[in-house]
Parts: sequence; structure tokens; C-alpha cells
Amino acid sequence: MNKNLIVKIREYAGILVFAACLMAQSALKAQEIDMLIKGGHVIDPKNNINSVMDVAIKDGKIYRVAANIPSTSAKRTVDAKGLYVSPGFIDMHVHVFAGAEEPGFTGFGITNGFGSVAPDDFTFRSGVTTVVDAGSAGWRDFHQFKKQTIDNSQTRVLAFISMAGHGMLGTVHAQDTTDMNPVTTAFIMKEYPDIIVGIKAHHYQGNDFGPVDRAIATGRLTNKPIMVDFGSSTPKLSIEELFMKHFRPGDIFTHTFSGNAASAVTPNGREPIVDGNNKVKPFIFEAQKQGRIFDTGHGGGAFVWSTAINALKQGFYPNTISTDLYRNSRNAGMKDMANVMSKFLNMGMSIQDVILRSTWNPANVIQHTELGHLSVGAEADVSVFNIREGKFGFMDARGSVFNGTKKLEAELTLRAGKVAWDLNGISGPQWDAVSR
Amino acid sequence: MRTKTAGISEFIQHKFVRTVQRIAAVLALILITVTVEAQEIDILLKGGHVIDPKNSINAKMDVAIVADKIFRVAANIPASLSKKTIDISGLYVTPGIIDMHAHVFHGADVNSISANSPGGLQADAFSFRAGVTTVVDAGSSGWRNFPLFKSQVIDRSQTRILAFLNVVGGGMVTRYDQQDVTDMNPEMNAYMIKKLHPTILVGIKSAHFWGDFRSVDKAVESGKLANVPVIVDFGEHSPPNSIESLFMEHFRPGDIFTHTFSEHAISETAGGRESIVDVKTRKVKPFVFAAQKRGIIFDVGHGAGAFNFNQAIPALKQGFMPNTISTDLYNLSMNAAMKDMTNVMSKFLAMGMGLQDVILRSTWNPAQVIKRPDLGHLSVGSEADIAVFNLKKGNFGYMDVRRTKISGTEKLEAELTLRAGRVVWDLNGISAPDWQMPAITN
Repeated sequence: MNKNLIVKIREYAGILVFAACLMAQSALKAQEIDMLIKGGHVIDPKNNINSVMDVAIKDGKIYRVAANIPSTSAKRTVDAKGLYVSPGFIDMHVHVFAGAEEPGFTGFGITNGFGSVAPDDFTFRSGVTTVVDAGSAGWRDFHQFKKQTIDNSQTRVLAFISMAGHGMLGTVHAQDTTDMNPVTTAFIMKEYPDIIVGIKAHHYQGNDFGPVDRAIATGRLTNKPIMVDFGSSTPKLSIEELFMKHFRPGDIFTHTFSGNAASAVTPNGREPIVDGNNKVKPFIFEAQKQGRIFDTGHGGGAFVWSTAINALKQGFYPNTISTDLYRNSRNAGMKDMANVMSKFLNMGMSIQDVILRSTWNPANVIQHTELGHLSVGAEADVSVFNIREGKFGFMDARGSVFNGTKKLEAELTLRAGKVAWDLNGISGPQWDAVSR
Repeated sequence: MRTKTAGISEFIQHKFVRTVQRIAAVLALILITVTVEAQEIDILLKGGHVIDPKNSINAKMDVAIVADKIFRVAANIPASLSKKTIDISGLYVTPGIIDMHAHVFHGADVNSISANSPGGLQADAFSFRAGVTTVVDAGSSGWRNFPLFKSQVIDRSQTRILAFLNVVGGGMVTRYDQQDVTDMNPEMNAYMIKKLHPTILVGIKSAHFWGDFRSVDKAVESGKLANVPVIVDFGEHSPPNSIESLFMEHFRPGDIFTHTFSEHAISETAGGRESIVDVKTRKVKPFVFAAQKRGIIFDVGHGAGAFNFNQAIPALKQGFMPNTISTDLYNLSMNAAMKDMTNVMSKFLAMGMGLQDVILRSTWNPAQVIKRPDLGHLSVGSEADIAVFNLKKGNFGYMDVRRTKISGTEKLEAELTLRAGRVVWDLNGISAPDWQMPAITN
């Protein structure tokens, strides 16, 4: 046999081995991505992404975000053409300590009661993957809340702890200043540093800043922000004083677009952020500039069109969009997170601004910067949504309607890489493509 | 002093006055009637397409509500007669939907499947937004814990909650409790239904039994004593029991087989529920038609594991229709293929069932099955539980429990839901005034 030929065969064999290696490598690659969300318009404000890109997920984490990742490298590909892809929404104001306790005295039965809702009932179907409970549990009930709700939910549940030891058992408990203990509260917060993001002061009817100041004292002990449901005091207390003299930068005013109507918890009505001529009060802009956080907290009684529409027109945007989901808001004007976000879209806020205020902004406010973005290595909490075009109406807390043309609809929601919601089956095969 | 003439003239005068008085009275009466009528209707749903299968209505009609009752259903009821008129042209109006299979005994016992458990959902969180006004809990509670279910959930919910009592006294706590034949007490069950809660308890549930027919038979025995139907989840017998025997030998006409379209990978060791469609030939088993003819009720009970297109699509094609459409709403089904009642109803539309048939199976049929003929229709005088739907057109997908899908071009969306004459859901604010109305000040 010709020596040259043998050499050539060896060379060819070498090439064959090399090719085989390449094939093996690509086979490895073929198994690399668990799920590829392909062709969607990615909005990831933290990473300044606002374009068509593919999102690859592996082992429950974001693996890659790039244009044209080949389907061959994924076990499963979801076609997201025409849809938006964003970080899973963070709803920063909810009440999810659902249970069976009788409401105490007057109140909504929020603490371990029927006034709260179960998180998974509302989250994934509106693109939400993280909720932050806004003070449903105080230090006395927080263990119970953890065992009963947080540990048993697919949704990531974080929480503001109530400044009142008994949380929101009854309105009367929010008046008991002897049960507002910064040291005890801080102690429980340090027990759950990954879950408790701050302190909530709420529904206090006294004519002083006592509960707010104690919450701030607790916040100083733990280096966490406070969130305040303000405006129950008789006579009214000034919100300017709240923002400028009591709040630290990073502290949160919720129910931003509340009207001044009286309710069970606001006997005199909250002081609105706009004046009698619907002009945003100058100190509001100043407060926001100085780092005070304005949260939407829509709720059953805290979102009024005239306040919101006029404020937005004058360039005042809330820092965060949230629902204040509980029994009295779920079937009323609020409905769910997607509905509240849609309201802002229809008031003229851009989709990028809406997503920012429902992902990366709340993540920053609650000091959980590992959330609210699609950076490589982040837990794959992903929201894939559709913006429906048509004629839609949106109601406020007074039961009046504002008409719009856009509505956000959650198509596919992933929590830690797992499909937690799939409205139209875009992640599944056709029924007759599978034998049984 | 009266003269005769004067008397006559007085008489005439008197008669004239009386006539005038009478005319005035009649006029006043008419006026009053008109005024009363003008105020008579509280809410008028105007211009919608009414589907009310019980009353054979399938046409454009207006629906008038006074207080909490249906006042009138007719074409062209003038808006001037109503305090409030809601324009629903382009939308469908039906009786409030009855979801005959749900789990809503919500509570805080994390170790329980359905009774007083987070696994049971809050009814109001899912009902109204899907057009549902009545849910029937399918055996989450037994006679021992029904009083807790009532005080904790039923009495606090806006949704009308009815219930099948579990044949087991403790209800659905664990799989093991469901096997306890010693806790299946027909006398207690019947007493609870007939004597104590006849307006809430509509039947008996047998579920998750691993053995022979004892659980079913105890349920039927209870049902005979209380004169109510039984509903059976036949899914965990090992080896599987014959559904033909269940339908033809154990069931009475009116008894209910739920999870009709499930398909389990059955083996002698694994057990499971025998399917109604033969898995090899994909033909509906002949005795299934015979059973339905005999009066056995086939309920959908979609759930997280009990709806397979390989069963439903061939069955519907071969002319087998379920008697009732229901969700089997609970924590594991809510975010999976089931989602909510409108999604399950839309799935049947996508499989080719007509809208009237879908509504019939979600209103008047379940009402009859649970022997509540006061529900599921829009007859004058009935409680004003009403669903107003938008039938969306577009490209939609519907999944089964295997997470495979079919495509559809229609989807029901609950626009407006009324429970006892009150608006409890309004998706797009069609019952609301414009936001620029004068501000409420205080």
C-alpha cells in the first residue's frame, strides 16, 4: 500500500475524529438550553434592552439574552413573535395573609383572614412572579404568615412587616401605640432578612407622627425602608411634613393617586398630591427628587382618575406601580396587576416606563436588586405578555370609567424557569402530536 | 231648601262632578302608574343577545331588573322606564353561570387537601370574573365539618355556594381519610342534608376510594335517604372498577359521573379511572350512550388531571356531549390547563360545541341536576344572577392536562356579572359613568 495513501487515510481519520468531536460538542450544546423564548420583544429596563431578542433559560436561571439564539441549542422553544418579554412583575403592595380568622373589631380581616387573598390565585395570570405583602402581619403573626402562606406559595412572597404587633387584624389595632415596638419588630426582621423588606405604618387616626416615627426608628435599626398608608389622622396631618421632615430617602408613600374621599380608615379623607385645581403640589416634585418613593397601591379606594390623569399630564410619574390586592379591590376597579399597568399605558405612559415601574424600580426600592431584570444568572422569573388592541374601559375607586385602546394580557409566566401560567398553550405541543 | 229642579240640577251637577272626579282619578292613576313605571326598573341591560335555554330564548332582548329579581325579559324595553340602563349591544346575556364542581372550603390547614385548606380556593376570587354566580363545592366537607365550612366560607362569600357533602364525615382532608368506610354514615349525611341544610346541600360526593364499590354504595344509600343525587370521582380504584357496573348497577338515574374526559394510564397495579372512550379504537363505549339515556349525568370536572383531548374530541365527534360543564377548581387546576370557567366553556366552543349548548350545560342543566330549578334561568321573579359575555374573535389556544393544545377562534370573556341584581364584576366599566363626572367632594 502506498505510504502517502496511509498518511492520507490517517489525515482523513483525524478530520473525521475532529468532526465527530465537533458533533459531540454540538450535541452537548443541543442539550444546553432548557427553554428558549424566541422572537419576542424584550424590555429589560435594568439592562437597557428594548428590542427583539431571544431569552435562553437553563436550570431555572437566565442563561443568555441575545439576538438569534438557534433553536437547535434548546430542548424546548417557545415562539414569542409579536409578544413582549420582560422580567417577572413585582407587585409591591398586596395583602396575601389569607386565613380563617374572624376580623377583629372593625377592619378588613387582612391578618390571617378573608380580607387577604391567596397570592397564586392572582399573580401568574397577570405576569407577576413576586409580591410584597404590605403589612398584613406584624411581629406577633409573622411566623404564622411564613408557615401558612409564604412557604406554601409558588409566587415569591416578600413582606413589609406591620409596625403594629397585631398587623392588620382590625383598625383598632392600628391605634394601639403601645403595641408598636421597634426593637421587637427589628428582631423579627433580622430573623427573616431575605423575606422582610421593610416596615409598614398604616391607618393611624391620631394627630401625631408616632407610628411613622417608630417605623422609621425600626428602619434605622434594620437599614430598611418604611411604607406608609397615610391620611387617617384627625385632624389631617400634612403630607409635606411627612415627606420633608420625617421620611428618609427611600421611604415609600403608598396610595399616591388617592382622592380625598372619606373611608373606614380615612375618616377625613387623605390629603391628595394635587390641589383643588388639580395641580400637583410643588413639594411633591421636590420630595420625589429627594428620593421619596411614590407607590401606586391602587386598592379598593385609593386610585382616582382625576388625580392620576392630571398628575401624569404634569409630568409626575409614580416610582412604582402596584395593586393593593385584597378582597375589596380584586373584583372592583383594580382587578389585577395587568389591569393596573394597562391603566398607566392608556394614560400615556410608555410600555418601557410601565415595565420599569413594575420590575426594576420596585426591586431597587425593596433592596432586592437580584430581582426585576433578566441579567445572566438571575432566577428566570419571566413575563411574556401581549398588548391587546381594542376598546377597553378601566374603572377607578369611585367607580368611574376611563376609556382606552390597549390592554396588557399575560401570555406566559415563568417562575424560576418553570411554566407557571400559559394562557394559550404557546409552550405546549398540538394535542394530536402526542400519543397519549 | 231643595226644589225638585234644583234637586235634578244638583243631581246632574253632582254626576258631572263625580265624572270629572273619576276622570281625574283615572288620569292621576295613569300618571302615577307611568311615574311608578319610570322608577320601576333598577337596571336595564339593553341590546344584548339573550341565551336562556330554559325559556328557549336565543334572541336580541332587553333584561329588566327590579331590586334583586328579574322583572322582565322582552324586546325593546324603553330606557325611560329604568333608573339605570347599561348598553350591552354586541354582547351575550345568560343566566349567571353555575360551576357544578369546585373546591372552595378555603382555610388555613396546610395539611389538608380540600377541607379548611389553602387547596380550597376563595370562591369570589374566581367566580364573578368568569361569569359564575353559583358554585357547588364537590365534597370538600363532610357532615362533621360542614358547619365550619358554612360559617367560615359560605356565609362570608358573595358567590352563592352550594355543596355536595362528602360521604366521609371528615370531608377531604387526606387520601387516607377517604378510605375510612367506618366514617361513611348515611343516616348522619341524610340528616345533615334533609333536616339541617336543605337549601345548601344538594347531594353526596364519593371520591378517591381505592377499594370496591362500598364508598359509592354508601353515598347512594345516603342519597336515597335524603332524596339527592350522588357525584362520584371514580379515579383511584386499584385495580380499576368497571364504569359500566357503576353506571348500570350502582347509580340511580340522576347520579353524576365527574371527570368524564379523563384518561389514565391504567394497569392492574396502578389503578385509575376507566375512560369512556376506548383508548385503542377511540370509540365511545356503547354502554356510555346507554347510561346517559338511562339518566346518568356526565359532568366535565376538568381539574388538574381529568381532561384529555384524546377523550373529549373523539367523544364530541361521535355525538357524546357531557350533561354539565364544570371546572373542578382548586389550587392545582387554577393556573394549569383549566384556568377558570370561561376558559373551560371556551374549550368546548373550540371543540365545535355550539354556544347555546355550552350555555345550557353551564346554567339550566346543572340547575336541574342539583334539583335547584330556581336557578340557571332568567324567568320573571327569579333572583337576578346574570352573566354578560363578550365572545372574542381571534387565535386562541386551549390546553388539556397533558399540556397539549388545540386552536380556537373564539373565547368567552366575562364583561359584567350581577349577583342578586348587584354588579359584582365589570371588566370594562360598562356600568360606570365617565371619569369626568363632577368630583365627589367632602
